[in-house]
Amino acid sequence: MEEKVLEILEEYCEEALDYEGDNMMEEGVIDSFTVINVVSELEDAFDIEIDAKYVVAENFRNKEAIIELVARLLEE
Amino acid sequence: MQLISTNFVILWVIFFALYYLVPAKRQWMILAVASGLFYVAGTGGIPVGIVLTGAGAYGCGIYLARSLEAQKLALSDIAEKERKKAVKQGFERRRRRVQILYFVYSLGILLCTKYMVVILPFLQKTGLTTPEGDAFFARVVMPLGISFYTLTAIGYVVDVGREQCTAQENPVKLFLFLAYFPAITQGPFNRYGKLQEEFERVHVFDYGRMLFGVQRFVWGAFKKLVIADRINLFVGNVFGSVNGGLPGSIYALATVLYMLQLYADFSGYMDMALGISETFDIYLPENFKRPYFSKSVAEFWRRWHITLGTWFKDYVMFSFVMSGAGRKIGKVAKKKMPRMGKHVTGIIGTMLVWLLTGMWHGRTASYLLWGVYYGVIMCISLVLESQYSVWKEKLHIKDGKVYGFFTMARTWMIVFVADVLIRSESLSQAGEIYRALIADFRLKEGILGVTDYGLNRYGFLLLAAACLLWLAVSVWEEKGKDVRRLIAQSPMALRWCCYYGVVLLLLITGIYGGSYDTAAFLYQSF
Repeated sequence: MEEKVLEILEEYCEEALDYEGDNMMEEGVIDSFTVINVVSELEDAFDIEIDAKYVVAENFRNKEAIIELVARLLEE
Repeated sequence: MQLISTNFVILWVIFFALYYLVPAKRQWMILAVASGLFYVAGTGGIPVGIVLTGAGAYGCGIYLARSLEAQKLALSDIAEKERKKAVKQGFERRRRRVQILYFVYSLGILLCTKYMVVILPFLQKTGLTTPEGDAFFARVVMPLGISFYTLTAIGYVVDVGREQCTAQENPVKLFLFLAYFPAITQGPFNRYGKLQEEFERVHVFDYGRMLFGVQRFVWGAFKKLVIADRINLFVGNVFGSVNGGLPGSIYALATVLYMLQLYADFSGYMDMALGISETFDIYLPENFKRPYFSKSVAEFWRRWHITLGTWFKDYVMFSFVMSGAGRKIGKVAKKKMPRMGKHVTGIIGTMLVWLLTGMWHGRTASYLLWGVYYGVIMCISLVLESQYSVWKEKLHIKDGKVYGFFTMARTWMIVFVADVLIRSESLSQAGEIYRALIADFRLKEGILGVTDYGLNRYGFLLLAAACLLWLAVSVWEEKGKDVRRLIAQSPMALRWCCYYGVVLLLLITGIYGGSYDTAAFLYQSF
């Protein structure tokens, strides 16, 4: 799962892979447009539904947070 | 009541003293009373729209919280996965209906009050209202900061529904969140979860913090009175020129100054609001991060009116894209357009946000056009973003100071074009200005006549000096330095020279009206 998430990030937002902070959205590393594309790809890849309530800065603070979010949604 | 007024300063000092005198668990009450008084003093009565919107948010929040509790209880008794999903969806559907009902209700109140300015003259013509009736209406129905109040209330309801915060059981505490007085007229937009945490902390008096808060307030007043209101003398005359026909160079200068005026005015208010709040040990979110250092329009809007942008992104854009309709559109688009389809929902979401941002800022066609202009530019830049590096490589462009300045200048140009649109008195005037900028620049005539529009040579010199000071502070901040801390750590003589210097500059060179009254803040009308 991790590999697939990183693959999607590499396609849409390569900077996210090297980012080591914890506020990717507010620091402009990943913009809202890219978030939408990443969410859409994650939904297709893992057959999950990512509700708007999960699309918050905390869940997109870095690549690890995105992986955590997908893992949580896969468990539900 | 303006923040720069004797009445406000008296109110601030009294409530500041009371705030640190009462027990910590009662401090929020002092802020609630201050907010209520600020409201009543600002509108001259109890505004019906505010009460109705607030009461609706309170009721809706309680309903959502009860529904979430009931859902948890119901799900705990069900083992079967499919049945669990169906029950959950049932609860979610009911909550969504209540939320939509609240959005229609609160936005209806907002639209009624905002568009009453258009409706009233019509009613007057038909003889359906009297001047006394209008005065009553203005006092009671058209409340201060209704736009900020309504969007903040909607944000609260969405956050409770999304379980990002718990519902407030105390209506007075909710009122305090919605109408916290430093933020009510122009923001920043607050998130319930974060601001409530601030209200609930224990606040102990701290001399250094009080000084920092007052300093920030004075700095905001400096930007407003010395820079923004001085620029207004020139800009108001140029754009207010009835006959038009001015040289394009004068329009160019007026627009550049207007860009600075809007920024000084709005960020000045934010400095004052955040400074006041800091004296109460309540920290509000930053609304500006030196936007004119941005290298793209997208970055500009991440640094300008940050909390409004975040509000629209979180509550409109993502809500639309992740809704049933948004997902359907996305799937169809991906199927029909394999290359571009993935961008379709993002493009629709971006355009929707910008149309609403335009409508939120003003009622005229100019603002709608302004929203479309930014929406189109944002979509183009975001879709083509991946191509930029390819083009740069092909054109052998390297990152560096020159290229960095070029990208900043490009952003200024885009903002310049948009600001002509919103500062002009009408669309036809905007058209005339664009024409003059391209085909009738008359640079020499502009330079010789620049002092004919309300600002003399000394006015320009003073403005340039104030702007240089502002630029120096901004460059320091951009480099990550905390200017207030730097001043606080400097030797006492230098420190007090800085404090007295800014206050004296403010008193001597600020633009004041009668009784030291000031011009209204520009964003107050949005």
